Amino acid sequence: MSAPAVLQARALRFAWPGAPAPCIDIAQFEVAAGEAVFLHGPSGCGKSTLLSLLAGVLVADAGSVQLLGQDWRTLPAAARDRRRVAHVGYIFQQFNLLPYLSVIDNVLLPCRFSRARRSPDARAQAEQLLARMGLDAALWPRSALQLSVGQQQRVAAARALIGRPEVVIADEPTSALDEDRREAFLDVLLSACEANGSALVFVSHDRRIAGRFSRQVLLPAINRAAAPQGTHA
Amino acid sequence: MKALLAIAWKSAWNRRFTLSLTVLSIALATLLLLGVERIRTELRDNFSSAVSGTDLIVGARTGSTQLLLYSVFRIGAATNNVSWKSVQALGEHPGVAWVVPLSLGDSHRGFAVLATTTGYFEHFRYGDRQPLALRAGRPFGDGVDHLFEAVVGADVADQLGYAPGQRITLAHGTGELTTGHDDKPFTVVGVLARTGTPVDRTVHIGLEAMQALHLDWVGGAPMPGVRIPAEQVRKFDLAPKSVTAALVGLKNRAAVFSVQRWVSTYGGEPLMAILPGVALDELWQVVGVGEKALLAMSGLVALVSLGGLVSVVLAGLNERRRELAVLRAVGAGPRHVLALLALEGAIVTGLGVLLGGTLAALGIAALGPWLQSRFGLALALSAPTLNEWALLAALLAAGWLASLLPGIRAYRLSLADGLSPRI
Amino acid sequence: MTLRSLLLAGLWAGMAAAFAAGPAPEATTATSPLGGKAAAAPAATGQPRLIAWEELVPKDWDPMKEFQGIDLSQLDDADPRANELLMKMQEVSNNAPTNPEMNGALVRIPGFIVPLEENKGEVSEFLLVPYFGACIHTPPPPANQILHVRPVTPAKFRAMDTVWIEGTLQTVRNDSMMGVSGYHMAARSVTKYTGGAK
Repeated sequence: MSAPAVLQARALRFAWPGAPAPCIDIAQFEVAAGEAVFLHGPSGCGKSTLLSLLAGVLVADAGSVQLLGQDWRTLPAAARDRRRVAHVGYIFQQFNLLPYLSVIDNVLLPCRFSRARRSPDARAQAEQLLARMGLDAALWPRSALQLSVGQQQRVAAARALIGRPEVVIADEPTSALDEDRREAFLDVLLSACEANGSALVFVSHDRRIAGRFSRQVLLPAINRAAAPQGTHA
Repeated sequence: MKALLAIAWKSAWNRRFTLSLTVLSIALATLLLLGVERIRTELRDNFSSAVSGTDLIVGARTGSTQLLLYSVFRIGAATNNVSWKSVQALGEHPGVAWVVPLSLGDSHRGFAVLATTTGYFEHFRYGDRQPLALRAGRPFGDGVDHLFEAVVGADVADQLGYAPGQRITLAHGTGELTTGHDDKPFTVVGVLARTGTPVDRTVHIGLEAMQALHLDWVGGAPMPGVRIPAEQVRKFDLAPKSVTAALVGLKNRAAVFSVQRWVSTYGGEPLMAILPGVALDELWQVVGVGEKALLAMSGLVALVSLGGLVSVVLAGLNERRRELAVLRAVGAGPRHVLALLALEGAIVTGLGVLLGGTLAALGIAALGPWLQSRFGLALALSAPTLNEWALLAALLAAGWLASLLPGIRAYRLSLADGLSPRI
Repeated sequence: MTLRSLLLAGLWAGMAAAFAAGPAPEATTATSPLGGKAAAAPAATGQPRLIAWEELVPKDWDPMKEFQGIDLSQLDDADPRANELLMKMQEVSNNAPTNPEMNGALVRIPGFIVPLEENKGEVSEFLLVPYFGACIHTPPPPANQILHVRPVTPAKFRAMDTVWIEGTLQTVRNDSMMGVSGYHMAARSVTKYTGGAK
């Protein structure tokens, strides 16, 4: 890869506490800056676990996971949380938003918790992102509850992108959307990540959208651990 | 921290229907605690301010609390009387400066009638050594010319609309069924200023007048066939035969023990003398048990309502796991989650306490006048006392501590769930 | 023993205990709080001197001299002399003189409160007595073992609470039949008693 790696995993091993065998055993996995990676695999192969390891929510038992050159393991829990919010945007499959905050306040949430993503023009940035996501200005002051699922996912994407984090991790964000909305969502997400210069790690079990991404990774292919009985995700 | 507070507030507002019941129960617990505490102290102050400047109260030998209650507060009755001879002997004791005899037993439309001497208006004190003052008219006079004169307390005048010049008749007995002294009406000559003591609810007449009322009575009922009209009573000997009790003032207050001793060993009849302050403290030891029980109950009520808060928040935690995961994703650490829930609990408790305090103040303002006229309890609206502030602070602290419980649970949940909540 | 003899004995013992110390009162231990250090010359002005109740009694007073030679156990309860004796002892007790050396002394003394004036939970005038229950059935303390106290600021105490008081003693002359009437003090401090002579 020509661009520097924003995420780097080497000799990564992880087992859930009490599990007999590790569920993640990866020799090497890298994501370059600005790269859009499609990570797929059948249910239960450890996609969400890998995402948690990459985002520093879980700490590897062996090996290293580096974000921007720093291994998660070297940081205490509170510092991991701070670093995560400073450099990683996260999108869930659904229920991304806090129902008691307005749309624009939801987008601004990371700024409340991270100095790195805070800026004087945060509000203007948020409005810009929401506009880019195709959300009408009339919707911005509304409560998040009043939006449709598709609209909520777009707001989640805007929130993941505010403050220009280096990495955006999306855990099956389109699985709850129908086909039209899925395509539309992918359009705005990919173009926004490109404009931001953020790397994107997109997890899904849906092969049909794989083609939209520059790189596709089948997790069981790189994960030497046997598929665990039952998942934790 | 400000961000957390805003989020805690908005999150709580989102669940306001469930939480409002909790706020209400905390408010009621606060109201109860404050009410009990306020009434307790006011009651004690009211009692202790009812008599002042009196060194001893002398009465038939009963119990010190009983003597105090019926002589000062008109509660209960004497079992026996003090003979006039004893009162005179008391007055002649070298250490005694003044004696004010009291005679109870009659009533006027629900108010007690007290027969005494003019010395009452001179020597009786209440509160902080305050003398009685008249807001209209004058005290009743000495001698047969002023026989059927009465001085009424402030409550009597206000409730019955009396002013100097009013003609009234008294009744024998103090209950519902009384026999009237209709043939011997009195004239109100004075109205006392408000004291906040049982004096306000009393009609005062002279001792001779009391004697005159009962000249043609025997054993609680008029003698059949005997009628002595009002104009003719003056011809009879109107010196009282006995009184209910006597207030005593000494020349030297330090001599109170020896005079008390003299009274209790008096050979003429069984008497006792009490120090009002000491008897009051004894009364309060008995009442104190009830007070503590009431306070303990109120404390339990507060605990129950805080328990309600904890269970409401705990029960709702499961549904909030997504909310917590979202917060984790945008940078809130598990400590933030703990702080969030603790803040929420503190907000709910704070609102409850505030509401309860406001209700208590409104209650006092609304009920005060009624309590005053009905029970003689002067309940004033004033700033919270030190004790009351302490109670409020304890409630707030307890609420905050209690909400640490769901906070810790949320902390654990958010750790376990990470960014992938179970729900 | 019968009641009257008990009373007599009590009065006798009370006075004897208070005054029998003779030339100098004994020093006490920390567990006998109402005793104190041996009487010394009045301390320098400014600091209150800790005194014992015995010091309030003039050293040359002997209440017993009138009752020498009387044997209590010989007296029957019904004997009128017993009653007379009681009355006489009471009178002696009432007329017990004050110690003129104490007039104007700045002292610190512990005792029990008998409230005289109380308002809103604060006692603004009280008597200080040396033993518990002085106002109940036991023989009352002699006149020079009662302090009439007016605290400068009212104090929050109840009847029979144990306190330290500090202030300047004044003997007050009262030429009534009650004899010299005893000690007064405008106490500048009234504090809770916590044990141990300090």
